[in-house]
Amino acid sequence: MPTSGTTSFPASSPAALIRVEGVTKSFGGVRALRGVDFELLPGEVHALLGENGAGKSTLIKILSGVQRHDGGSIEIAGRKVAFESSAKSREAGVAVVYQDLSLVESLSVGANLMLGREPRTRLGFIRKRQLMAEVGAFLTERGIPLDPRVSVASLPFAYRQMTEISKALIGNVRILILDEPTSALTGDEERILFDAIGRATRQGVGVIYVTHRLNEVFRISTRVTVFRDGLNAGTFATARTDMKQLVAAIVGPGHALAATGKAALEEQQAVAEPAAAETDQQAAQPALTLSGVTNDRLRGASLVLRKGEIHGLAGLVGSGRTEILQTIFGLRPVEAGTVSLDGVPAGELAPITAIGLGIALVPEDRHLQGLVLDHSIERNLTLPRLAFFSRWGWLRHGASVREARAAMGKLRVKAPGPTTIVKNLSGGNQQKVVFAKWNHPRPRVLLLDEPTVGVDVGAREEIYALIRAAAREGTGVLVVSSDLAELMLLCDGLSVVVDGRVVSTVARGDLATTEDLHHLIQTSQSPDELAA
Amino acid sequence: MTKFITAPATATTDEQANRWRKLVGAFFQGDRPYMIYVAFAVLLVIFSFASPWFLSVDNFLNIGRQTALVSIIAIGMTFVIIGRQIDLSVGSTLALSGMCAALAMEHVGNTWIIGAVVGLGTGALVGLINGLLTTRLAIPSFLVTLGTLSAARGLALMLTNTKPVIITDEAYFAVFGEARFLGVPVPIAWTLLAAAGGILLLHYSIYGRQVYAAGGNPTAANYSGVNVGRVTTIAFVLTGMLAGLAALVLSARSHAARPDVVQGMELDVIASVILGGCSLFGGRGFILGTLLGSLIIGTLNNGLVLIGVSSSLQLVIKGVIIVAAVAFTRR
Repeated sequence: MPTSGTTSFPASSPAALIRVEGVTKSFGGVRALRGVDFELLPGEVHALLGENGAGKSTLIKILSGVQRHDGGSIEIAGRKVAFESSAKSREAGVAVVYQDLSLVESLSVGANLMLGREPRTRLGFIRKRQLMAEVGAFLTERGIPLDPRVSVASLPFAYRQMTEISKALIGNVRILILDEPTSALTGDEERILFDAIGRATRQGVGVIYVTHRLNEVFRISTRVTVFRDGLNAGTFATARTDMKQLVAAIVGPGHALAATGKAALEEQQAVAEPAAAETDQQAAQPALTLSGVTNDRLRGASLVLRKGEIHGLAGLVGSGRTEILQTIFGLRPVEAGTVSLDGVPAGELAPITAIGLGIALVPEDRHLQGLVLDHSIERNLTLPRLAFFSRWGWLRHGASVREARAAMGKLRVKAPGPTTIVKNLSGGNQQKVVFAKWNHPRPRVLLLDEPTVGVDVGAREEIYALIRAAAREGTGVLVVSSDLAELMLLCDGLSVVVDGRVVSTVARGDLATTEDLHHLIQTSQSPDELAA
Repeated sequence: MTKFITAPATATTDEQANRWRKLVGAFFQGDRPYMIYVAFAVLLVIFSFASPWFLSVDNFLNIGRQTALVSIIAIGMTFVIIGRQIDLSVGSTLALSGMCAALAMEHVGNTWIIGAVVGLGTGALVGLINGLLTTRLAIPSFLVTLGTLSAARGLALMLTNTKPVIITDEAYFAVFGEARFLGVPVPIAWTLLAAAGGILLLHYSIYGRQVYAAGGNPTAANYSGVNVGRVTTIAFVLTGMLAGLAALVLSARSHAARPDVVQGMELDVIASVILGGCSLFGGRGFILGTLLGSLIIGTLNNGLVLIGVSSSLQLVIKGVIIVAAVAFTRR
């Protein structure tokens, strides 16, 4: 008798839930997948790693029927498939839990779980009591701590994700795809989610777990597959690998971080040192001064940003960090106080006047605020400086294309050309395009809001280099970031924002470690909370 | 010769390709931009075989004259729709502009210049009201222009208590209706002029770039220093003015302004723009596509009459073809 399908961990199991072989996919000249292999077994959590643009999301989109592969083969439970729609993929037992969840907020957990499959009376009315009982039994049986009667709108984020996972499970899903599920979760919520995933795998469900966070990989996965540049960079049993090996696979050979992460970090600091020395010479000249700026979200924010300085704004989400940048850029009115550039009060600001004064903003959400995704790189790049590339209101098309080409070269945007549609670029390259909008002429003040969110390791280093280069040329840079290590790495000075005000400012040298900064943020909060 | 054939440096091919792209850029801007040309060609071939009278210069001039009104307004509508808005009031704006122009000539001074200024001015004013209500009060333009669609028509009817106003200035008839300019009947000449202006403004000016950005992603446009409200308002003013121009062309042809003309015209205008490759979700479209869209609808009207299809059936066929064509070009 040949091998039976029940063997738990064969090298190439005939019982694989998913087998992907040599799959390719291109988007308008950008080759996202260049022949990848992937396998998912029942009951395993298979982590999928890689930089942005490595091809993870593309594979997920193909498996979920959002897109179709160009070449290679995909087998699900031994049958060749090419999903035409997400409905087809769902029929085959594949469910994706996206970050933006697919629940109807106004309905209860029970109604969401049975949406479209409600038990009905002969006249077509929904048997509500039976529905709740069925869902209740299902949740108890699986040990999922959810109340079917509660409305989804009232649930915290982690429980919504759990609802989403339960919805997949109740619909007989065998393959569950989680795309960066923890990015919006607190530590406790994360535990709840991992618990739910564990319950699902014990029932024989296979889970594909896409993430940027390596520590999660070790906590939850059985195997790890790494993609790089649309190709396989290796598959490892999680128990037999370590952080170093995975990082090396992710960034690839020849990358600074691949050698030794620590050496690379030291090198960067060495580069940062002379920049700091130069800023001392210009120390007397503030590029941007806020004094007592007040509006709907700010309560007397004061700040001095010097020429050539990289200054970080730390604080909790909702503290007013982003709003400080928005106010400087003229997106929010100044009700009291003044914003001055080079010591001259700026008067009433709107984005167009702010740009005229040499202020540039790289916003938090590049898809919503930074880019017109359906338009070409060139159109996006020259949008904020149109007047610069025109004469008497007529666009100088040649000048615009030349600048786009130059900026793409300087920022190393990976794309076939200036006419490439921005939507087809990877996250890191899209973020470079947002930066490139302010390439020429050089801004006097550069405002950065979470400049490396969703950007992979390699592109992140390139963006740091750009920020440092801008500061060396005399631009004052104000950085908002939730990544404290990033602030410690980049900044010459740091300010903590609490409740629409800058409560403390320190030089980088005064803080030894990221923990110190963390401590500073925490201690800055407490007096206000006591007062409130 | 061989010099150009032997592999040139990559940069040169790139630049050549770019020059070529720039040259034909104005022709190809939609989703599948070539489809609209194919559709038009197919239509011409079908009607040429179906009717012996179809393929003649006179008939084409006829189509040009018949589609002039829709084409002129559709050029403005292209800006509005690329900017992620819609203007339902164009038919009523046309009627009101025509009435105001004719009344001004009757009461203020009987010269075509007064008619032209008042006609275009009235259209621009309605457009300004549409634009300001949409952008300042943040009312969806669908609702704003649904309101002005009704209000402007009502005003046009009230002005003379529903009676038409006779126009007597010969120069007015010549300039807007009956003369020929370089051998081309003036309604067609005005269409071409409006199209040329539209192409320059949309494809070669800063304003054009801003319209695309404002429609493609208004938030990102705002974050890039584009005054989205102003850009949108200007698009409405432009459309209103072109509705005013269309009013002058229409009243010069009939020697009178009537308050009840072109009811339901906005649908033909919007159909032309969408058929021409504009996205109703903004950020996409081009002037030549719109012009061709309008010509396709005009050719359908003309051809179906020539082959003797009843007017009721014509409406059905037109509707089916519009939806089919849009579905086809969208895939």
